[in-house]
Amino acid sequence: MDLFDELKALDVDVDAGLQRLNGNKNLYTRLLGSFVKTINEYYVQPDFDGNDYKETTDRAHAIKGASGNLSITPIYEAYTQIVDLLRKDQPEQARELLKNIIPIQDKIIECINKCM
Amino acid sequence: MDKEKTILIVDDIEINRAVLNEIFKDEYNTIEACNGLEALKILNSNVEISAMLLDLVMPEMNGFETLREMSRTGKIKSVPVFLITAEESQDMLLEGYHLGAVDVITKPFMAHFLKHRIGNVIELYRYQNELESIVAKQVESINKMNHSMVETLATLIEFRDCESGEHVKRICGLTKILMTQVSSMYPEYRLSKEEIGKIVTSSVLHDVGKIAIPDNILNKPGRLTKEEFEIMKQHTTKGCEILQKIPHIMDQGLYDYSYDICRHHHERWDGRGYPDGLSGDDISIWAQVVSVADVYDALTADRVYKKAFGHETAVEMIHNGDCGIFNPKVLEAFDMVVDRIKKEHRS
Repeated sequence: MDLFDELKALDVDVDAGLQRLNGNKNLYTRLLGSFVKTINEYYVQPDFDGNDYKETTDRAHAIKGASGNLSITPIYEAYTQIVDLLRKDQPEQARELLKNIIPIQDKIIECINKCM
Repeated sequence: MDKEKTILIVDDIEINRAVLNEIFKDEYNTIEACNGLEALKILNSNVEISAMLLDLVMPEMNGFETLREMSRTGKIKSVPVFLITAEESQDMLLEGYHLGAVDVITKPFMAHFLKHRIGNVIELYRYQNELESIVAKQVESINKMNHSMVETLATLIEFRDCESGEHVKRICGLTKILMTQVSSMYPEYRLSKEEIGKIVTSSVLHDVGKIAIPDNILNKPGRLTKEEFEIMKQHTTKGCEILQKIPHIMDQGLYDYSYDICRHHHERWDGRGYPDGLSGDDISIWAQVVSVADVYDALTADRVYKKAFGHETAVEMIHNGDCGIFNPKVLEAFDMVVDRIKKEHRS
């Protein structure tokens, strides 16, 4: 399986992502590489401070936007809920969601890294 | 759409900038900025931006702060701003509209719709800018026509009055210097540059009523009798009658200033002037300014009934109240520009 098929198997909506980039496969591949860097730069740790999570919210917001633009659907949907919960001052529920998405996120990152 | 237009993409995440760049690069030039501060630098440069795609959450300066700064500088009126954000909070999106964004587009967006929405607004702004440019040219043309009409009227005085049309031209210069100084020194008399321009143009007509004064009085080479002076004083009200008969040759603002100056440029601060015996600030500040300009020019010019006084003597006579009492604030402003007046007057 090539990268795109593997990502599709992980529920990434590759077709929607490609459509947003006018079908430019090379650019989509390059931006997937950038996404790995973005995840590392804005990584949200599950042990974030439950009393002061403004920066955590901004980091989750950044991952939400980038994953949305590339249609990395599982990550986008999870971080949409995480940002929403943090804004509603429900950090513990957000933490649980984060713990659930991190293994899926790691698989997607591993898949991209493998093909780069 | 054409590649002469430039879109400014503002987002701190490289992926988001790259996606937007890919969508627009075939039809527009694109420039990228990582935060609001960088975006403002580009907006303040010589590059003409046709639209700005602005993220909300960014380091250094976020989208809201950027919009506020663009509102403060007025840039928001000429550059359509689209908020492109992963934000879903209704309050925050509404805040974006309140701060002047033309549209809010949430990520992830559909490229096709995004292109159309932004393209349509760019086209509307282009059309609006074109219309504004046409209107500005027409206003300029009307202003020129107004000015020509006023000058034509003033020239008529030249044929009647031995003092020559040079007097009205000098009044223009003096009024401009003194009105600008008064406006800058006293907040209660502050006027825009445009309004001062209208006052200067209107000052040309202050003596238009002299057309209606008989030659033997207007050009009498000696002191006027009491009766003759009463007729001479009528040039203020006669001037207003003339203007009332031709109100449509100039716009309303110019007409109002001209009428007021024509009628009240011989009123005095202590109420001892004519024709209405107004006093203090019941006399408009522009009529007061033209009064001082008129007296200074009359004193420093040869007239059929007297020789010219020197600049210093004229200034002293004005301060001594030899030609009536003036507003102390206007005299203070006059003192501030007296050297300039001496230098520029009759030069």
